[in-house]
Amino acid sequence: MNAVEWIRLIVGSIFLAIGMVILFTELFGVFHFKYVLNRMHAAAMGDTLGIGSCLIGLMIFSGLNFTTLKMFLVIVFLWFASPVSSHVLSRLEAATNENLDSHCEIYEDVEILERELAANRESVSIQEKEEKPL
Amino acid sequence: MEKELLYHPIFITLLIMLSFMLLVCLIRAVKGPRVADRLMAVNMMGTMVMVMISVLALLLNEGYLVDICLIYAMISFLAVVVLSKVYIGIYEERQHNLKNKEGGDTDERS
Repeated sequence: MNAVEWIRLIVGSIFLAIGMVILFTELFGVFHFKYVLNRMHAAAMGDTLGIGSCLIGLMIFSGLNFTTLKMFLVIVFLWFASPVSSHVLSRLEAATNENLDSHCEIYEDVEILERELAANRESVSIQEKEEKPL
Repeated sequence: MEKELLYHPIFITLLIMLSFMLLVCLIRAVKGPRVADRLMAVNMMGTMVMVMISVLALLLNEGYLVDICLIYAMISFLAVVVLSKVYIGIYEERQHNLKNKEGGDTDERS
């Protein structure tokens, strides 16, 4: 084995280790949070970044051939598919949960939320102005 | 020969770690209190199985296993979308039936 192959082995192993750490974090998050919509946040990370860096490590191992291209296709497909499936799952949760408002705040209209956010921003800026002279 | 000796232990370790994670995912799928929990756990298991198939493709030197990985990704995505749509439909139908029953009761009382 020459130097290039050693470098390939080491870089690929680093990418695989990063991917495994991210997949483990995903599992930890799924058991740590208490509600589905929070758990989904952790689960969506492994779908794109976890499998992405695992497959990049394997691509570096396998070198330039058709296997690498197919692995790249898997990554690209998951980039598109994972957000869609997360969205559909959260829609299922929002449609079927009858006491959703005990877990999160629900705004009937987007304008109410925007007004509240604008009011918050104004109060923060006023506070900053008041604090500056002190 | 020397190359295989270096790569095989890495792949075997990866496979063992992934299979333990898969078992933990299965626990989440059994425990999950709501339907969305279970579907999310199934989605996670699909992701881990995809990594396992790609590792196997390099371990056995069979490039065509990655094709199976691509098809697995498509089918697991389709399963999640179709199952959640079906469940939303079932829930709405049940609500509709409940409303119809209540409506009929009030009509009879009046």
